[in-house]
This record gives sequence, C-alpha cells and structure tokens, in this order.
Amino acid sequence: MTSTDAVIGCLVVMGAGYLGAALLAVLRAGRRSGVALVTCGSVAGSAAAILALLSDAQAGLGFPSPLPDLALVFHLDALGAAFLLLIGLVGAPAAIYSLEYAPGGHSAGGGRLAGTMLPLFLLSMSLVVLAANVFTFLLSWEGMSLASYLLVIDEGDSRERRSAGRWYAGMAHAGFALIAAALWLLGAKTTGATFVEIREAAATLPSVVRDVVFLLALSGFGSKAGLVPLHVWLPRVHPEAPSHVSALMSGVMLKLGIYGLLRVGLDLLGGGPAWWGGLLLALGVMSALGGILSALVENDLKRLLAHSSVENIGIICIALGIGFVFRACGMTGLAILALAAALYHAINHAAFKGLLFLGSGAILQATGTRNMEEMGGLIKRMPRTAALFLIGAAAIAALPPLNGFASEWMIFQSLLAGATLPYPFMAAMMAVAAGILALTGGLAAACFVKAFGIPFLAMPRSLRSAEAREAPSSMQLAMGVLATACVLLGVLPFLMAPLLSNAFRDLPGLSGVQAAFRIGVVMEAGPGAAGVSPTILALCLLVAGALLPCALLAIGAARTARRAETWGCGRATQTARMEYTSTAFAEPLRRVFTDLYRPTKDIAIDFHPESKYFVRSIQYKSSIRTWLENTFYRPLFDLARPLAGTGRLIQSGSLHVYVAYIVAALLLLLLLARWL
Amino acid sequence: MVPYLLEGLQGFLTLALSPGLIGFVRLLKARMQGRRGPGILQPYRDLAKLLNKERVVSTQASWIFHAAPGILFASTLVAGLLVPLVAAPLPLDRVGDLVVVVYLLLLGTFFLALAGLDTASAFGGMGSSRAMTIAALAEPTIALAIFGMAVAAGSTNLGEIVARTLSHPEATLSAGHLMAFAALFIVMLAETGRLPVDNPATHLELTMIHEAMTLEYSGPYLALVEWSGQMKFFLFLALLSNLVFPWGVSVEMTPGAILVGVGALVLKLVVLATGLAILETRLSKLRLFRVPELLGVSFLLALLAITSSFLVR
Amino acid sequence: MSAEIFARLVTLASSLVLLSGISVLWRHSLPAYIRTFARQSFLFVLAILLVAVQVSDVQLYVVAALVFVIKAVFIPRVLRRVQRHVGADIEVRPYVNTPVSLLLAGVLTLLSYAVASPVVNLGALPTRGGIPLALATVFVGLLIIVSRKSALTQIIGFLVMENGIALLAILATFGVPLIVELGVFLDVLLGVLVMQVFVYRIRETFDTIDVDRLKHLRH
Repeated sequence: MTSTDAVIGCLVVMGAGYLGAALLAVLRAGRRSGVALVTCGSVAGSAAAILALLSDAQAGLGFPSPLPDLALVFHLDALGAAFLLLIGLVGAPAAIYSLEYAPGGHSAGGGRLAGTMLPLFLLSMSLVVLAANVFTFLLSWEGMSLASYLLVIDEGDSRERRSAGRWYAGMAHAGFALIAAALWLLGAKTTGATFVEIREAAATLPSVVRDVVFLLALSGFGSKAGLVPLHVWLPRVHPEAPSHVSALMSGVMLKLGIYGLLRVGLDLLGGGPAWWGGLLLALGVMSALGGILSALVENDLKRLLAHSSVENIGIICIALGIGFVFRACGMTGLAILALAAALYHAINHAAFKGLLFLGSGAILQATGTRNMEEMGGLIKRMPRTAALFLIGAAAIAALPPLNGFASEWMIFQSLLAGATLPYPFMAAMMAVAAGILALTGGLAAACFVKAFGIPFLAMPRSLRSAEAREAPSSMQLAMGVLATACVLLGVLPFLMAPLLSNAFRDLPGLSGVQAAFRIGVVMEAGPGAAGVSPTILALCLLVAGALLPCALLAIGAARTARRAETWGCGRATQTARMEYTSTAFAEPLRRVFTDLYRPTKDIAIDFHPESKYFVRSIQYKSSIRTWLENTFYRPLFDLARPLAGTGRLIQSGSLHVYVAYIVAALLLLLLLARWL
Repeated sequence: MVPYLLEGLQGFLTLALSPGLIGFVRLLKARMQGRRGPGILQPYRDLAKLLNKERVVSTQASWIFHAAPGILFASTLVAGLLVPLVAAPLPLDRVGDLVVVVYLLLLGTFFLALAGLDTASAFGGMGSSRAMTIAALAEPTIALAIFGMAVAAGSTNLGEIVARTLSHPEATLSAGHLMAFAALFIVMLAETGRLPVDNPATHLELTMIHEAMTLEYSGPYLALVEWSGQMKFFLFLALLSNLVFPWGVSVEMTPGAILVGVGALVLKLVVLATGLAILETRLSKLRLFRVPELLGVSFLLALLAITSSFLVR
Repeated sequence: MSAEIFARLVTLASSLVLLSGISVLWRHSLPAYIRTFARQSFLFVLAILLVAVQVSDVQLYVVAALVFVIKAVFIPRVLRRVQRHVGADIEVRPYVNTPVSLLLAGVLTLLSYAVASPVVNLGALPTRGGIPLALATVFVGLLIIVSRKSALTQIIGFLVMENGIALLAILATFGVPLIVELGVFLDVLLGVLVMQVFVYRIRETFDTIDVDRLKHLRH
C-alpha cells in the first residue's frame, strides 16, 4: 500500500468517524460511543496529516458535477496537513472533555444539538484545509461558521449569550463576504476555479488586482483570526460558549484564519511585494499589544483568555509578516524560518490555550462563576486541575523549557535575521518590533501570574469556591493530554522538526529550499547563529532542582516547619477580604498605560446625616471604556441602522406581495437573458 | 573533563562570590554614610544562620510556597552556568543564549510572584503585582539591548558576542555601545531591586517591592531566596561587565588564562559595585509611578543605541 | 587622531548633546531645566573643541570660547535670575505626559534619521554620524516648546533647538565663519533678553507664567 493510499484511508476513517458521531447524536444513541467516534476521527485525521508530511504523498479526491464551478474537490498538501494535525490535537481532548462537562445544571456535553454539531464542526474545519477549489472552500468555511454558531448559542437563555451569537453571526458573515469576494476575484478567469488553475492564472493578474485580493483576504481571514481592529467578536463570544467549544474556537478556528492568509497570500498569489509583510507585521504588533493590555484588566477568566488569544494571533502574524517580507526579498531560507516559527507558535498556542480554556471550564463547573474576584484557594480543592492549569499558564508566559518559550525564541531569531534586510529602515523597525514583542511577553507573564494566582491560590473569596470539587476524571484526562503536549512540544522540539521543515514545501518559490534552521537536540536558527537546547535546559533544571534538597540535608539545614498565621501587622485574624484582588493586581499596569485604557472613575460617598466626618459607605466604580469600538464600530452601526430601516420597507408581511416579488424577479431574469 | 571542570567553576563562582559582592556594596554604602558597616563576610554569616533556623509556614500556603524557592534557586543557578564569567565560549554555549538567560531569570520571578500571592497576605500580593509590573516594563529595553548586541556580533550567542567585542575593541567607544551599557545598567537596577527603584534595606512594607513578595519566607527557604537574589545581582553585573567590556575573559582554556579571567572578573565587579554604591548613596527611592518613566528613559537609550549602530554604517 | 576615532567621538558627543536635550523632557522643576541647558551647552562646547582639534582652525576655538561664555555661563545666569524673581519652581502639568514625551522623542529621532539619510549617505564627511542626532536635537527642542506650558520652559526649548541648529552647522560644514557665528550669538543674546522682559510682563498680568493663560487675551 503506497503512502497515498494510507493517507486517503486515514482521511476516510476521519470522515466516517465524524459523520458517525453526528448520526449517533441525532439518534440520541450512547454519548460515550459518540465521543469515542469523534476521538477516532481526530486521531485518524492527525495520522493522515503526519503521514502526508513525512512522505511525499499527494492525496486528492474530486466529485465532479455538471457545473465545473460547483464541483467538490479535495486535496491534502503539506500546508493543509500541518493544520489538519492541529485540528486533531485539540479535537480529541475537546470531545473527551464534553463527556462530563455540565456547568450550571445544563446537560453534560450540551444536549442533542451540541452533540451533533461538535463532530460536524470538526469535520467542516478539516474540509476547509482539504478544500482544493473555491466552491469547496467557501462551503466548508460557511459550514464551520454555522456549526460553531449553533454550538455557541445552544442552550442560550441569557441575554449575553444571544448577543454574543448575534455578534458572531454578523462578523462571521461579513468576513465570509470579504473572503468570497477575494476568492471569486482570483478565480474569475479560470474555468473550474480550482486552486491549481488559480495558481497558474495568478501570475498573469495585474498587480492592482493582486493587491486588492490580498487586502480583501486580509480583512476576511483577519476578522476570523482575530486581528485588531476586527477582533471585537472574540471577547464577546468565547466567554459565552461552552468551554470545550471555546478551546476549539481559540485553539483551532482562529488558526484557520492564519491558514487562509497563508493559502491566499503565499500559495495562490505566490507571494507579493514587501509591503504586504510590513502591513501584516504592523497589524500583528497592534494585536499583540492591544490583546494583552485588554487581558490584563479583565476579571472574567474566559474573557481574559479570549483577549490573550488575540495577543497570540498577533505574535503569529508578526512572524508571518516577516516571512512574507523575506519571501518578497528572495531570502527563502529565512522565509521558511519565519513561517516555521509562526506555525510552531500556532500549534503551541492551540495546545496551551486549549488547556487553559478547559481548565477555566472546570473552574466554572466547580464554582459556578467566571469572575476571578469570587474564586480563590482552588489549589487545595482541585489540586490536579491546578497543576495542569499551572503548566498552561507557564507555557503561555513563555517560560523555559516549555513550548511557548521555544516558539517565541524562534520568532525572536527571525526578527534578528530581519536585521540583514537590504532596507536599513525596515531593519530598525524589526528592532522596535522585537522590543514590543518582549513587552507583550512580559505583560503576558504578569497577566498569567494573575490568572493562575487569584483563582487558585490564597483563600476562597466566596462560599462556592470554598466548597468546590475536583473536576471529573474525563475532564482531567482531556486536560492532561494537552498538558503533556505542552511539555513534550517544549522539551522535545525535534519532534516538530519534520513538520516544520516540510510544511511549506508545496508553496511556489519555497519548494526544495533548505530551511535555514535545524532542530535537533539543539535548536539552531541557522548556520553560525545561536542555538538553544530546551532538552538539556530541562535536564539541568531537573538535576539542579533534585540535588537541592539533598544538598540542604547534607549541610545540615533545619528540617522542621511550624504552621502559623500569615503576617498581618499584628491584627487578630486573616480573612479572605484581606487578600489581594484581581483588580488590585492589575492596578499598577493600568496606571502606567492609563492613556491607552482611558478608565472612567465614579466615586459615591455616603455620609452620616449628622456629620460629614463620619462616612457610612464609599462606592467606587471604575470601568475601561472600549474606545476602540466607540471610534470604529459605533459610527458604522449608526450608519447602518437607517439603511437597515429603509430596507425593512420591502418586508410588508403580506403573502401576495412576496409571491409578486418572485414573479417580478423571474420576469426580469427572462427578459435579461433574452436581450443580453 | 575540562568542560565539566569549567562549568563547575562557573557554578562555584556564582554561588561563592555573590554574597561577597552584596557584602562589599553594603560595606561601601555604610562607609560613605559615615558608619562602620558590617564586614564583607556578613551575608555569608546571615545565610548560615538562616539555614539553621526553623521554617515558619503560613496555614494558607500550598505546595507552590514550598516549591518556589527551589525553582528560583535552580533557574538562577542554571542561568549562572550559561553566562560567561571567566571564559568564553562555555561548554554549554549551544544550550542557551542571551535570550535564555533573561527568560530563566523571568521563570524565577514568575514563581516567586505566585508564592507572594499564595499566603493570602496583602503585602505579598502587592509585592507580586509591583514586581511583575517592573519586570514586564524592563523587558523591551532588554530585548532592544540584546538585539543591538546580537546584530553587531551576528547572533545572540554569548560566546560570539564576547568574541566579537574582543576582536573589535574600538567599537567600545561608539555611542551605541555606551548607550546600550547605560540602558542595561538602569534595567539592572530595576530587575535586582536596587535604589532608585526599590530600597533593599527598607522595613516599611508599603515601600517594598521585592521584599514584600518574600515577607512570609523564613529559615532555609529565606536563605535560598536571598541567595538567589544575590546570584541574580552577581549575574547581571557580570553580564554588564563581560558583554560590554570583555577584556580579561579568556578564550583559551589554559589554567593561566582562566586565573586571569577570575582576576579580571573580580576587578570589573569591584569597579561596577563601587559605582553602584556611590549612585545608591546619592539617589533616593523613586515614587513607584515614576519607575515606568525611568524604564522609559532606558528604553529610549536602547532605541538610540540601535539606531546609531544601524542607520549609520 | 585617526578618522575612525574622530568619527566615533563626534557621534558620542552629538549623542550626549541629544540626550541632555531629552533629559529636559524627564525633569519636572525649572531650576533643573536651566541646569540641564547649561550642561548641554557645555557638551556642545566639547563637541566644537573636538572638531577644532581635528581641523586645527583657530576660529573654531574662538567660537567654542564664545559659546561657553554666552550659553553655558551668561544665559543660564540670566534665566536663573528671572526664575527666582518670578518664583516659579515646578513645571505645571504639561500637555503631554512624561512617558509619551519620551516616546515622541524616540519617534522624532527615527524620523530625523530617515530625513537625514540622503545627506549621511553622501558619505564624504567624517562627521556624518552626528548629523541626524543634531537634527533630532532641533526636533526635541520644538517638542519642548509645543508640549510645555511655562514661558521659561519654552525659552529653554528654544535654546535647545538653537543648540541643535548650531551643532548641525558645525558638523555639516566643519565650522561656519566667525562673522556668522557672532551674528547668531548676538541674535540669541538679544532674543533671550527680550524674552526675559516678556516673562516679567506675563507674570505681572496673570500672576503666573502659564502660557496657556494667554488664550484669555483673545476677547
């Protein structure tokens, strides 16, 4: 059996698994078997991806139809395989998690609609990366948006959830329109609009058209990925969705926006002028900084994680932008370095963000709240969840030797390689981008000290937190799988080496190029460049950490420990009101960046009626105005509302008028066909 | 065999010299303030005393409180194995570059901040919050300084940076080099908690940054935390002196050259520590919200260093 | 000295002049501004001496002496007298706060590098490293004028800008003739004396030297 057959076989198993699980859910059959089928499907998909990357298999499938534009064509190439692996990485744990995830009395896993939509969501995402012509791509994209929309609003009886659903539907469809416009422009002159034909035809397109296509694709895919300023749906939707759906959306769906950018920008258009990369770099920097600054001041744990996703997408786009610039300047070895760094960070982000969202779901189920100001002391009630969440927090803060550090190191090395660009001004901009990247890294570390420290450490701040119970074992298993992935991807980066070197071999201009980097036990960013070995670092840290207690014993250090109350300047007791709050933790950074936050402050003091010197109560309210939305979106809405109002005039409500519309449209089409 | 000996010497120097360096700074400050001051060996005596005392652990503490001093100590020690103290390139040169050293130190700060929150003490939370703020705001300057040095040397590899400066001594006079030194010096003050950012000798909890995080530690835990802080200070000063003025760092691995390296290191550290002591005696602690302005100045210095080395070739 | 070392020292001196101009953005008290300006003029004198030693031009030595006497000694003394008489001590809250001013100074430096690159790339002058820095000093002086409210600070900003222009002239042309320098000095001296009188007038009318209040003269 050739490798192509093996890949096709795995893909068929994947499709069958997902469809079977959806069917089982519709028929209300056993949930366990449904989850098992989804897991099989995910594993099969990942296996297909790994096989496709390691061998030279070119697996394709086509369903012809009388209208060549409307055929279904699938093809798995190296780039698609990389993202297919990502889907399987988070898909299986998400499915396992949904077995016993039942926050707030909802049914575990969300009921029949959610059970059907989850495998269909995974299936449509897989079909997006498999699509090989415009129609298939758009169909799968729309299916993905629809499935995720239904997953978000399922069992939605709260106003926030319905509003989140509306925002999501609106922005997903706006993005779809832009992507459709870009792809149709590309496929206009070809017969079947398959990617192969588009690639050949794109070289002959005038550069204005290419620029327009790129900008449309950037807006459409950028809004799906969550680039500033089109990210506003992210922090509204992710908190409301069930946690495993948030994990999938944040970990996988956002990366499909990145996939789209790579597909259209580097594959179909075959690369472009350097300003494309520069624009991506600028948007990436803004998203990274904006995302982490918003995350810092959040008290809602899931919204904090959503803003942090915006930040990480920004980091991925920084690497992507540099890759585009290198490609435009013909420095292909360095281009692969930058693109591989972007892909590595995408995979790492899927692993640790998925883990963090699943952990936040466990907290939500145990304490009934997403508000960090009501949590606390959970490390004693939920020790395993705490340990797993800590791994995720340390990974996202880019601490060595975990996976976040490895990919950020690679991105830093690509920025450094950018200093060799022939334009000295761009090289100086690389330095500034490196500085801002480091700033977001430091802010992320601060943010995740807060995100782990406030919910899990110290004393419980509410009654439900004091009575929290550990998460069920299936949820722990799902989190454990992702935590293991975080550790392995960081400590053993050579596992990723074949993926990263081969993922871009099918892109025009980059095939057959030797990657500048080499990943063995030592990761090297290029010949003569710096190297880092997370493996040996982990080993050194473990040895040092293990030797330390022995050394202390050997020198006769004291071994006794006495328990006492925390130092409180001599006051009598310690209560939960005396510990630091989440708002207080972020306060210094809020003050430093006050020009960007523009917080509003509202103080109401209630005096005793007898005398102004006796204060009965003080109410302090402070909120961060979302000035970005006010400047961009409010004018847009104010413009759209009267237009929509005039549009409503068509809806008269009378059946006769609607039938008359149909007749009029038919007559118009016939007349046009006759005389044109 | 020689590589292991060299790394062992690195570890030994980091562990053994760092309390002495702090003792030297304290003695100088005391003399300048008209006091007799404790001896240079006082920090060693303090560490020995702390190691023999009983631990007092808060009833609220979890395993993070117990693990953090160990993690902090281990990460600082491993960073000490990577920084070229007396010789370059080190055997572990390909294991970690300058970026790794910075992030290893951040790993220690991360866990110490968690430990500050762990005991439910308001002071601990305040110290954690302030320390993470300052660490985050110092990062861009460090990145720009690393970028500048790496562009000149061709990579972020520590051995390469030292070798490059040794082979181009006139580069030390350039404005970029000196501004990078000034920027890194300010960052060192912020990261190691020296005046004017943080007063290491203060007893008022509301003025503490680093001390507030470690307020609950006692006994061997406190010894480990203090020692790690001294090692971090030692490593920062060693980085400053050996990356910017690397003369004395041996490139051959002969015992004679290494002895010269040790002597040169001690001399450079004494000079830097004297400068620091004079600075600390002259300056008073900045208000907390003027520290970002100071870090902004250091960022600007690093930016100017980059532009003057980049845009004028 | 060799051309290489001369170039580096010139860049170093120009950077120090720029940095002392930027440090005005960081300080908050008026006596500190005056001291910083005196320091900047002193560093400027050092730069002129450096060029004078390299070119061995007697005129430049005279220029250096004049700059020292007028800008590093006389003008700061005049300003200090005004400041003591007017009584203003701390700069009122500026239009742009400190971190943003520092960021803007960085952006202006990058811009001046971009603007000066055609001149720098001509490549003939050994002082070409310092030209963008001198241009940046001019911009920083303008930034001080635009962003600060006190009349005295605006005079300081004008003087910083003037230092930058003079440094640019010295670096770009290796010294201007003595006659031109004398003319410029006379200009600056008279300017400062006139501005000093105005500061007294503003103080008498408004009881403060906050230039923002001049808006009230409109009606």
